Amino acid sequence: MDKAIELHAVDTIYEGEKIPSLKNINLHVNKGEFIAIIGPNGAGKTTLLETINGLLESKKGKVIVLGKELNGDGNGIRKLVGYVPQDYSIDELTPFLVSDVVLMGRFGKIGLLKPITKNDKEIAKNMIDYLGISDLSHRPIGKLSGGQAQKVMIARALAKEPEILLMDEPFSNLDFEARKDVSEKLSHFHKSKQMTFVIVIHDIASIPKVCNRIIVMDAGKIIADGKKEDILKPELLEMGYKGIVC
Amino acid sequence: MLELVFTKILLFAIIGAVLTGFTCSLMGTFVVRMNLSSLGFAMSHAAFAGAALGIFLRKDPLIFALLFSIFVSLALGPLADKAKLKTDVIIGVIFSLSMAIGLLFLNMSPDTAMSSTALRILWGSVLGMTTADIMYLLIISVITIIFVMLFFKEINSILFDRKLARASGINDKPFYYLILFLTSVTVAFSLKLVGGLLVFALMINPTSSVYQFTYDMKKIILLSPIVGVISCLLGILMSFSFDLPTGSAIAIVCSAIFGVSVLVSPKRRKG
Ligand SMILES: Nc1ncnc2c1ncn2[C@@H]1O[C@H](COP(=O)(O)OP(=O)(O)OP(=O)(O)O)[C@@H](O)[C@H]1O
Ligand SMILES: [Mg+2]
Repeated sequence: MDKAIELHAVDTIYEGEKIPSLKNINLHVNKGEFIAIIGPNGAGKTTLLETINGLLESKKGKVIVLGKELNGDGNGIRKLVGYVPQDYSIDELTPFLVSDVVLMGRFGKIGLLKPITKNDKEIAKNMIDYLGISDLSHRPIGKLSGGQAQKVMIARALAKEPEILLMDEPFSNLDFEARKDVSEKLSHFHKSKQMTFVIVIHDIASIPKVCNRIIVMDAGKIIADGKKEDILKPELLEMGYKGIVC
Repeated sequence: MLELVFTKILLFAIIGAVLTGFTCSLMGTFVVRMNLSSLGFAMSHAAFAGAALGIFLRKDPLIFALLFSIFVSLALGPLADKAKLKTDVIIGVIFSLSMAIGLLFLNMSPDTAMSSTALRILWGSVLGMTTADIMYLLIISVITIIFVMLFFKEINSILFDRKLARASGINDKPFYYLILFLTSVTVAFSLKLVGGLLVFALMINPTSSVYQFTYDMKKIILLSPIVGVISCLLGILMSFSFDLPTGSAIAIVCSAIFGVSVLVSPKRRKG
């Protein structure tokens, strides 16, 4: 089977730090898989996602994404990989409208010197509708609530129609109903587009249904990797990932 | 004959004002949004110091102004980029240093010391515009327009958020440096008309005025240069009418526009 992501013995160290935040990570994700990453705060989940899309450079080992090895400049890869970051600072006066922010998700993919087409605008609009935020479309992004903004960031990432979508706690600001709703939409989107999804999530109850593989991280390492049924056994959770109640 | 000369001066002043107002305010939208105001401030004063050195050496002040402001943008750009050092501090140092150097050179310049030529680069003047100045301004205006049109997607993404832009596959670094570079060139070319002390006002005020009325970056990019052009035209009108230094007049006009914008801004109205 074609691999979407391959990490071979990868270490990632933040600039100026001594202790690696990722230690000897080996991970293979097939194209079309939907995996969830869980683990306590500081486990290295965000670091792992940013090592995959090249925002952080690994210090050791090999990162291969969509068949291309990342060395240094991950820009080419990031055109094909969507990312919903854990945190983004959008201040209240940010002069951008929701519709523009979502459309912008496609700009990297469209590429230098290529025009924005009608099709691009339509896809962006469809994603806004899909997430049920069309009433926010013409509002300034800085004026939204945390959950509304988070939906915009998800719409933005989906609008890109990436081959791989990395999401870092995309539900953290959503209410329970919205989590369920967006989670189902992601499942549906995944099925229809055959994309590869990697989602970092704390709330186990809202792991999308199509997700069949779970990775547990702790202290910069992958401590468990397997089928959802196997990982979400109470004993295992107790061991690797204390403190989740769902 | 005298009338012809006057017409030419007036014409050059008007064209110069339009072009200066346009580019300064266009680059100003980027400078303000990317929090590069203090860098722009340092650039404009470095340009002034450069021009003063040029006068002292009896060479073309423009070339030295250009070199100095480009130097500052390239030297401070990486620091502002990485936020590794308190850029405020460094920029403060550069600012006072360039003022000191500039005034020193002006003072040391024999016979021209504090003469009108020298003062012009501080306060700006409508009188000194040459065909070459107009050409330079025209070239930089055209380059900035082309830059914005060709790379609208990239610039827009970067103005929204650099990290998100990078995450979406846009190579933000070259654009950041291009913006800095074009800003420093714009500053240097605007020196003649607006003067080293006040060119900064022309970058910040028009876009800050437009900010009071819209949350749409596209509109801000379109309207700021228009406000900049209007400020410059009203400024030279004032300068001609009341015999004021051009830079001061332009700065007063665009500050007044900003003040009024804040007062009537729907963003600040309660409810
Ligand atoms: N910019 C940084 N510089 C230095 N160290 C960092 C930086 N960001 C994260 N770290 C360290 O790397 C480790 C992993 O952090 P990471 O953000 O990947 O954790 P996480 O699993 O995403 O946690 P959370 O659940 O809180 O989001 C932590 O020990 C953290 O202190
Ligand atoms: Mg994290």
